[in-house]
Parts: sequence; C-alpha cells; structure tokens
Amino acid sequence: MKNQKKNRIWNAVKIPLFAILCSLVAAGVVIAVTGSNPFRAYYALLQGSGLAPKSSYANYKSMLTDFLSYVNFFTPMIFAALAVAVALRAGLFNIGVSGQMLAAGFTATVLVGYSGLGAAVAKPLVLLIGMAVGGLAGALVGFLKYRFNINEVVSTIMLNYIFQYVASFLINTYYVDPVSRQSVEISAAARLTLMDLPIGNLKVEIPLGIIAALAAVVLVWILFDRTKLGYELKAVGFSRSAARYAGIRVGRCMVLSMTISGMLAGLAGVTYYLGYVGTIQPKVLLSTGFDAIAVSLLGNNNPFGIIFSTMLISLISKGSTYMRSAAGVDAEIASVITGVILLFSACSVYIRWKLERRKQEAGQTAKEGK
Amino acid sequence: MNTMIIDGLSFALPLFIMAIGGIYCEKSGVTMLAVEGLQGFGAFVGAFAAVLVSGAFSGNSPAPFYIAMCFAALGGGVFALLHALLCLRFRANQVISGVVVNIMAMALTAYLTKLLNRVLFGAASDKFMLTVSARLTVPGLSKIPVLGAVFTNLYPFELVIVAVALVAWFVLYRTRFGMHLRACGDNPHAVDAAGRQVNHIRLAAIVICGALSGLGGICFAYSISANFSASIYVGYGYLAIAALIFGNWRILPTLGACLIFGLARSGGYRLVQILQMPSSFQDLVMILPYVLTLLLLLFFSKQNGAPKALGEIYDKGAR
Repeated sequence: MKNQKKNRIWNAVKIPLFAILCSLVAAGVVIAVTGSNPFRAYYALLQGSGLAPKSSYANYKSMLTDFLSYVNFFTPMIFAALAVAVALRAGLFNIGVSGQMLAAGFTATVLVGYSGLGAAVAKPLVLLIGMAVGGLAGALVGFLKYRFNINEVVSTIMLNYIFQYVASFLINTYYVDPVSRQSVEISAAARLTLMDLPIGNLKVEIPLGIIAALAAVVLVWILFDRTKLGYELKAVGFSRSAARYAGIRVGRCMVLSMTISGMLAGLAGVTYYLGYVGTIQPKVLLSTGFDAIAVSLLGNNNPFGIIFSTMLISLISKGSTYMRSAAGVDAEIASVITGVILLFSACSVYIRWKLERRKQEAGQTAKEGK
Repeated sequence: MNTMIIDGLSFALPLFIMAIGGIYCEKSGVTMLAVEGLQGFGAFVGAFAAVLVSGAFSGNSPAPFYIAMCFAALGGGVFALLHALLCLRFRANQVISGVVVNIMAMALTAYLTKLLNRVLFGAASDKFMLTVSARLTVPGLSKIPVLGAVFTNLYPFELVIVAVALVAWFVLYRTRFGMHLRACGDNPHAVDAAGRQVNHIRLAAIVICGALSGLGGICFAYSISANFSASIYVGYGYLAIAALIFGNWRILPTLGACLIFGLARSGGYRLVQILQMPSSFQDLVMILPYVLTLLLLLFFSKQNGAPKALGEIYDKGAR
C-alpha cells in the first residue's frame, strides 16, 4: 500500500524531473558554447536567490536577506500558477493572469495604497480587493465563454491589453511619480511586505503574502480532492459533453472555475504590486502570468507540485541578475531555460503514454514467452 | 481622412497576411495560437538578414528589405516546425503548444538579438536597427477623391501582401491541395480514405502559416517600429486570430475584419491629433482595436463555423 503511494508519486515526479534535467543540459551547452562556465552560471543562480553563500555581502545584507527577497519574489508566482491550474483542471486556459494581476493590483493601489488607512485595516482590505477585482475579471471571461462562445484565450488576451493601456493611461494622468516615471509608491501600511525591518545587524523584508499563498495551496487542494464542486470541475475538464450528460451544469462550472482562477490571479497581483515592488510601471505587462503556465504544467497542475516548480522557475529568473554580474551570462537566458522546460512539459502526456505502452508491450511479450 | 486610410491600410494588410496564415493552419484542423511568436521570430530572422546585408547596398536601396522579407518568411516557416513537432509528432495539446511556441519565440529572440549584437557587431544593444521602408504613390489612381488615398504613400510591402494574398486565396479554394487541406479540418478520416496523409497536409499548412506570419512580422518591423526588438510582441498576432474568427475562417470576410481594426486604430490616432489631446490619451486609443474585437466577437462567435475537427489530434485508429 505504502509502496504503491510511493510509486504514484515517483510516476508523477519523474517526467517533470526529466524535463528540468533536459533543459538544464541544453541551456548548459548553450552557455558553454558562448564561452562561459555553465556550472559557475548555475551556482550563481543559487547564490542570487540566497540558497548558496556569495563571496561578499553589502551592508545589512546576508544570505538570509537574499533568501527572504527570493521568497518575496516567488509568492505572487504561487498564486499565479494556482490560477492557471484551477482553470486548466476545468479545461479552460487562462492566459490573462497578467492582466488580471494588473487590474487587481492597480485597483488596490488606488483605493488602499494612497488612502492612509492603518495597517490592521489596510492589509486585509488589499487582499479582499485583489480577490474581488481579479474574480470579477475572471468571471467576465467565463461568462463570455459560456454565454457567447468566445474562446477564452482570445478574450483574456484582449483584456490583457485593455487593462494594460487603461492602467497606463490612468497612472500617467493621475498617479505618476515625475522622477521614477512609475506610479507613486504606496504607503507602508498598505504594503503586504514589511520592508527593511531591522533584525540584528540586517535589514530584512518579511513577505506576509507567503502565508496566504500556502493557505491557498491547501484550499485549492481541498477544493479539487475533497469537494463535490472540485469533482464537477474536473469532470468538465475531462469531457464537457460527458459532464453535461451526467447532469453537471457545465456553464456554471466554467464561470466558477474562471472566477476562482481570477481571484487567485488577483491575489498574485496584490502580492506583486503591493508586496514585492510597491509601485506600478505603466505600459508593462508582467511575464509572471505567462511563466505561471510553465510553472503549473511543470507541477502537473497539482497544488503541492506547484510549490516546488514555483521555487525552481523563480530561482532561475531571480538568480539571473546575479548570474549576469557574477558569471557574465546574459540574463535573457533565464527565460530561454523556462521556455525549454515548458517545451518538454508540453510533451509530457506523450512521453507518459509512450512509457505506459512500452510497459504493456513488455508485459505482453513476457506472457507470450511463458 | 487620407492619413487615416493610409495608416489604416499599412496596419491592416500585415495583419491580414498573418490571419491568412492562421486560416490555413486552422482550416487543416490544427489550432493556431502561435501567430504572435511566429511573426516575431520571422521578423527577427528577417531583420538579422537585413542588418547583415545592408552594408553591401547603398543607403536607400530597397534590396535589403526584399531580402528581409524572404528570410522572414523562411524563419517563420522553420520556427513553425516546432509547433508541428509538438502537435503532430508529440500529440501535445494544441493550445498549450501554441503558447509554448510564443514563449519560446520571445525568449529566444530576446536572447539571440543581444548575443548576435555583441558577438558579431560588438554592440551592447537589444535591437536590430532597420530603416523605415520607402513609400510610393501610384500616379493617376491616387488622384481619385477619397479612394485615391488607397494608392497614396503605399509601402511596397502592401503590394507584395496583396499579391501573396491572392495566391493564397487561389490555392486554398481553387486547387486540389487546398481542398484536401480544408477537408483535413472537417473530416480528416475522409482525407485518409482518399489516400492522403493527414499529417503531411497539416505539416504543410503549419509551415505555410509560419511563413505568412513571418512576412507579416517583418512588415510591422519595417513600418511601425523601424527596428527589431522585443517591442514587436504587442499582441498583433492575437489580433490576427481574432480577425480570422470574426471572419468566420474565410479569407474575404477576414480582410474586412482586418480593415476595421486598422481603420479603428488610425482613426483613433487621428482623433487624438485633431482634438489636440495630450499624448497620454494615445494609450486610451490603443485599446480601440481590442475593445472592438471583443464587441464584435460578442455578436459573431455564437454562429461561427469553426472547422469541425479543429484542435483534435488525428488518430488513424479512432472512429
């Protein structure tokens, strides 16, 4: 029994591991060809994320501060990847996570970030607004799909650009900081990350959002593995017509899954814009929402798998800045590595199918041999 | 009014050629969301070729531009093989595959542009500089009131696109290959029964789509941005997909959709200029094509005639 469970976990993990290994090797070859040492580059990734000691640190900095900054960095990614996973389980493809993040982050910034509310009120309010705005944006997409048969990929992308330009217009017109050309920084009370907290001789950042992120992981797991709604969502994801035949209200499920997905994306938005950075750069849509697709696929769309894949993908992008200075490798290689991982993950269904068939064939020949 | 038509056309036609690529691919039964990545990669290859050869020609020679167009089509076609590999060989989900191709294209072109600039030209730049393509005016025809604007200040690529589009229309609707291709999207088993390889036809369709998308990409690079950089990825590929859905997977109605997008965009810009609004209002105008897409899809998605086998992996043994 125990062995069986172990086997199942190994089966789930071996293909993502294979994908990671292949892409690291492939990227390593590229790095070597361009004249740098791949091992040095990969070690620099770890150093940049606070998982390995650097040779020297600036004042108030240590491996711990680097690590906390890394946690701060990947918190939004957990939410974003969960958002992709929830939609994907129900057979929908939410590539509007970045836009939903921006909509939620911008609304929360304007409503709470500049309001001067106390921390005890402001911080929960930010989370609530993030969920509400993201959820609404997601629900709209689900509704368009269900009521008007509009492909969610097209509608989310159109909404991405609409959010991006509207937010950029409003920021440039009302909230721009003339020096940084970004939106005015939000008040410390509304910020979900405690910045520059003096502990000992260090100044650390404490990302409060990570607690909510881990809670969200557990909640999504409960939703899909322990509730009727989660079961219905999965049924819709497997086959829409079969689900309809079984009496599941498919339209309601699609709208609900997009709403939940949007809520998670909204949380990703507030933990990024009101946690990790504190300002919004106009005209820029984050790549987080797109990387989240890679993260979710790599984690088999499983909430716990997503924690690990988030840490890995974020490690690559967070560490890439330090890698450039320490190992002289272009930071852009980071997204190439992510892309290659995604490439291999996309083939995972085929690889699994092939492996299973080979096993079956092997079983068959063994039987015939007897 | 004239500027609106001129700018609108120079935006609509590259969009149109990309949408035709999408029609080819989707008509063969393969979901195509990778237009964005394909146009970017095509533009990257084309721009790189143009930068390489530009030294050999005089400053205002049009030759680098035509070379760039050829290489852009080539680059888009080759990169489309990735989509074909994932969809046809590895039976990946076609939607996911499309997104993978897009992400790969963005990552690769950003990385390679920087690398090639450093290694070959010794410059720390993340873009390939191009010139803005010269324009031409058709004498005589341009004198016609209103409609004359269509023949005024044309980019040469607009003529190329019209020619290619005519050929593409002919091949899709008037040749045996085109009929097989369309049949692949509606009833692949029938094609198989007629003795054709479904996957070969789909492969051809995907590569054609890549080539046409690359062509569209280099036209954008030569008209709107005058360089190749990451700014080539602003979602025009997705706009092309919206246009083809709105055009019901048929070439002529798709042209109409593209024209609407183009005119909405240039009209919006004109409006900002005429009303002398501050430049930040341009951001607001930029959303026009996207809002329009959504609104139009509201009315046209319901009764759309998507190819029946769209997105399905062809399995010879299935019934």
